[in-house]
Amino acid sequence: VTLRKRTRNLEWRERTTGAVTYVGDVQLPGMLVGKALRSPHPHAEIRSIDVSAAERLPGVHAVLTSADLPENKYPHEGAFADRYPLARDKVRFIGQEVAIVAAEDERTARAALEAIRVDYHVLPAVTTVDEAMAQGAVRIHERQSGSNLSMRITRSYGDVDAGRAATHASARASFRFNRQTHVCMETNGTVASWHEETGILELWTSTQSPYFVRKEVSAVLDLPRDSVIVRETAVGGGFGAKSKITDHEVLAAALSMRTRRPVRLVLDRAEEFATTKTRHDFRTDLEIGATADGLLTFRDARMVIDNGAYNHSGVSVTGASIGSMVSLYRTMGVAVDAQLIDTNKQPGGQFRGYGGPQVALPVEVLMDELADKLGLDPIDLRIRNAHHDGDVTHAGYELGTANLVECLERVREATDWDTKRAAGGTGRGIGVAVAMHVSGARTYPEANEGNASVAVDALGRATVRFGGSDAGTGQKQMLADIVQAETGVAAGMIEVLMMDTERSPVDLGAFSSRGTMISGHATRAAAQEAARRLRELAAHKLGVEPEQVVLAEGRAHVDKEPDAGITLGDLVASAGLDDDTLEVTETVTVKAEMVNYATGVANLSPAYSFTAHVAEVEVDQRTGKVTVLRYTAAHDSGTILNPTSFDGQVAGGVLMGLGAALGEELVYEGGRLVNPSYLTYGLRRAADAPEIVPIIVERADPEGPYGAKGIGEIGIDPVAPAIVNAVNHAVGVRITELPLTPDKVLTALRPPPSRRAYHLWRRPSRWWIALLRWSYPHGVHAVLHRVGTRFARKAPPVVVPTLHTPETVDEAVATLAATPGAAPLGGGTDLIPLGEQALRRPTAFVDLMAVRQLRTLRREPDGTVVIGGAVTLAELLGSPELAAFPAVEEAVRTIASSQVREMATVAGNLCQEKRCWFYRSGFDCYKRGGATCPCYAVTGDSRYQHAVIDGHRCQAVTPSDLATVLTALDAELEIASRSGSRRLPVASLYSGPGETVLRDGDVVVAVRVPPARGRTTVFRKLQLWEGDFAVASAAVSVHLAPDGTLGAPVVVLGALAPTPYRAHRVERALEGRRLEDAVIARAARAWVPGAHPLERNEWKVEAACGLLETTLEALR
Amino acid sequence: MRVNGEDREVAVDGADRLLDVLRDRLGLRGSKRACGMGECGACTVLVEGRPVMSCITLAARARDVETIEGVAETPEGLALREAFADAGAFQCGFCTPGQVVRGVALMRAGVPDDEAELRHEMSGNICRCTGYTAIVAALQSAARQVEEVRPA
Repeated sequence: VTLRKRTRNLEWRERTTGAVTYVGDVQLPGMLVGKALRSPHPHAEIRSIDVSAAERLPGVHAVLTSADLPENKYPHEGAFADRYPLARDKVRFIGQEVAIVAAEDERTARAALEAIRVDYHVLPAVTTVDEAMAQGAVRIHERQSGSNLSMRITRSYGDVDAGRAATHASARASFRFNRQTHVCMETNGTVASWHEETGILELWTSTQSPYFVRKEVSAVLDLPRDSVIVRETAVGGGFGAKSKITDHEVLAAALSMRTRRPVRLVLDRAEEFATTKTRHDFRTDLEIGATADGLLTFRDARMVIDNGAYNHSGVSVTGASIGSMVSLYRTMGVAVDAQLIDTNKQPGGQFRGYGGPQVALPVEVLMDELADKLGLDPIDLRIRNAHHDGDVTHAGYELGTANLVECLERVREATDWDTKRAAGGTGRGIGVAVAMHVSGARTYPEANEGNASVAVDALGRATVRFGGSDAGTGQKQMLADIVQAETGVAAGMIEVLMMDTERSPVDLGAFSSRGTMISGHATRAAAQEAARRLRELAAHKLGVEPEQVVLAEGRAHVDKEPDAGITLGDLVASAGLDDDTLEVTETVTVKAEMVNYATGVANLSPAYSFTAHVAEVEVDQRTGKVTVLRYTAAHDSGTILNPTSFDGQVAGGVLMGLGAALGEELVYEGGRLVNPSYLTYGLRRAADAPEIVPIIVERADPEGPYGAKGIGEIGIDPVAPAIVNAVNHAVGVRITELPLTPDKVLTALRPPPSRRAYHLWRRPSRWWIALLRWSYPHGVHAVLHRVGTRFARKAPPVVVPTLHTPETVDEAVATLAATPGAAPLGGGTDLIPLGEQALRRPTAFVDLMAVRQLRTLRREPDGTVVIGGAVTLAELLGSPELAAFPAVEEAVRTIASSQVREMATVAGNLCQEKRCWFYRSGFDCYKRGGATCPCYAVTGDSRYQHAVIDGHRCQAVTPSDLATVLTALDAELEIASRSGSRRLPVASLYSGPGETVLRDGDVVVAVRVPPARGRTTVFRKLQLWEGDFAVASAAVSVHLAPDGTLGAPVVVLGALAPTPYRAHRVERALEGRRLEDAVIARAARAWVPGAHPLERNEWKVEAACGLLETTLEALR
Repeated sequence: MRVNGEDREVAVDGADRLLDVLRDRLGLRGSKRACGMGECGACTVLVEGRPVMSCITLAARARDVETIEGVAETPEGLALREAFADAGAFQCGFCTPGQVVRGVALMRAGVPDDEAELRHEMSGNICRCTGYTAIVAALQSAARQVEEVRPA
């Protein structure tokens, strides 16, 4: 029997219409909304919690604290368990659950959270591993180590001394793999329903492992294991995030048990980012060596792993990463020292790759450096040291099949490697990296065991029962394919029931790439046994031997006589079976040894997958932006059962890896997450993704079902080093800290000049700002943060705004004047999120989109274009009126998404609030909280969207790209107000970052763009991902004489200063000159003496110079 | 409000979002909430024929709404869904209804021949599973298919 076919997912109809039931879609009568109150402090003692006011609110059904729950910890990692579902006595990270409520609806639940009073005694916090490891650092837990060291493993494998002695060349560097998060499209969540009369707890939860949920929830809540029943739901992505219980199942269950009503507790997106477990941040110092022939002699790795505030999978990730470090290549000896360090941040956890990506980065980058030193091609060096079939690694991994060499040869050929590799240093580059991965690791005694049942009924239908879940990996389809291939039941007649712990046999779930290897094995065994019995029945009926029976297309027949056979349904119906159903349940145990934490040696997995990846990149040497042109991934995962699923797992893993390599990074300030949103967490959009070419390197592995090995995780493992190596090949810099954002690349390529380049001494007006910035790290920030924020302005109350829909501008103006607290509403794409962010909550909206006059776009006879204030951005694209101003379209195309452009208006874009991630993410900053509060950008992460010119107490910038381009076009606003209408140049619109001189009651009627009169305008923008706000932008408008001389240039820089910045010095450097290289180079830097960057955003000065060069060249 | 061609009466206030009204009051739960801030595209619906983020759209301002339930069986919708199934363009499926609605709007307007332009148009719909390769392929194939069956 073979499978190897592309099949349509059996649920395609329901999945493509959203008709499958995710947790958020579960409907139960009387269901309440559950929410958690979370710690605002990274480290504090809880002195008392007063829930009485919350309990009294109408519509609130329960408010629970740790005192209401059994005193049981989450049973993660056995003896290392250290976390209660609700904080007891102490909170250890911002976002930790302190209390939970159940209420009639979302609004009531939020109000209840606000009514809970917690008295905290704030403790010093250690939010980085450096702080946590410092002498005398505050201790987060009472560990045996007497410090913040959760665990340390120091081991030597093979013969390291002999390896060092045999070494001819070595390479050494320090690496940092920053925190990445899963960002499942469906956030974590649970519906719990407690049945008091039966003592049964039903759970619908977004999980990869229903049986883990059953085991762990029952343990934490002191319930008999069988009384917890997990039901089937669709699961919207897992990637490891949902492979154990997380932090909502027990809470939803406790609320349901208390209220005796069903409770839904689903995290919102910000909670998902800020409180769920992350990929562990690894800092690795690695040294590797080789003989003159390029045979690896040793690796010496020192790893410091940021555990976060609790042990979840930190201990096992550390163990797994050591296994990878030791096993990746044939090597004489490997020494490792790994320290797992507690910090006051959200904890790390399971994530696709499980330490593999963090290990591949240092090893694979240094392999390239070693290849350079030895004068070898990087692929050749890897081939020389690759494992082969039958090797046993120092960590005890018995590699049955190991096709790494073939993977390398295939990518070499598919990418024309040798030709491209010969042409380095041109801005384009090509790089390779490899990885290996387990196919189902035995990290629990029963983890090498799978169960499945297959039933064929009297209608010829087959039902597979299986206790795992399918978070998008295609496992459901794979099991159906197996049953079809073995039993001959037709494809449309197979149903797969998963997850339900009452109706399906035990399976530990989908993690460690075990789905195909273990569950596939069990299902095959059950299907084969069912097929054997069907053949026996048919043989009896047809009077032949069982071996002569063919099962296909829903029938049993003798070979070459399909018409003479019998349908499977009739066969089963006539067999006199119980319930007229042939049912088989099988258990399969695969060959694997239990993980051994004491020795670090065990053959964990029945088989090991291998891969070689090649990245081709282009580096913009002016801005530091890396673009991936093409990505090729050759995989040895044994026999591929479903090529469609294979392609999807590879492409998805690669893109997730590209995210970590190029943009994804959780950024913290004082332990608080700075970027808990899609807008600030740089994952790749469709336009940022390259063509990804998966290659199957196929050879059956004897241990796998049909010869298959795992594919779910390995695709992410080698991506980051492939990118680092390609960038190095392109531009000659080796960057060892992820992600390779433009700031890091450009800083390596063009280090910022001495700070004397910014002529601060000439600008006395800036001296006090310079003094203030200096004072921040010297105590002022700390005082403002600890003391000043206590006086922060309170968030405006949540209100239900009234909606006014005027028909004319006059009516709109009158309504605004007559309605205190009213705000004009354009597309709402900023105003509505601002309400969610507790920044602006108007009591009334005046809908300007309802005013016809504001929605017109017209060209006046003199060539002036009048754009109504409520014209949408989408309407500007391709409009004939704006044909003379292509720069407007260039700018609009870069803004947000096509959906947002359909909604957002021109006036709304101009008037949008600043995008500073501190301001937007709930920090009590100077602008949000008031004068007693600090600007967090001064000492915090200001790399992207903060000012490098004219920053004042707030370092934010005006985010509007239209502002930049309309300023360059010398556009004017037409404004209506009660006192009449007036004109205002866009250049005079702004008083501060995203702050305008408009008064309450003003309505932007139109933007008037004066005739081009022979002027040419271009716009360019640097953004981190498609649709992001500008890191820097430039608009240049000039009159180009026939001889190429520039007349009356206007140069405006965006996202560099609090307001669009008119670069007069650049204009003077261009005036009357031609666009020669030297002129461009000099002019593009002419504004630099006026800059006053922060320490961390100095690179933006260089990037803006580079961007301006590109913009000026575009005028040629 | 007209929803999928039917007049539906529903009382809304100035805070109600279209997504919540569709899911919680009209029982149209195909549109998904993944961010609530207009940043990911999982809630995409068509309002007056144009793709918008329903999670930040005020329900009171939407007149003519088409959801995934409405577009699913249209010629474009069906062709695209089948193409998604054949290409493996969904895995977990949570972003898929939004992708399909956005894709149908693109098919009605004309799927760009240029792949970069197609990717640009689809960049408001985040997918965490597929790496986008299959989504792009599905759109291209569905566009070709609808082109072939459309009478000249």
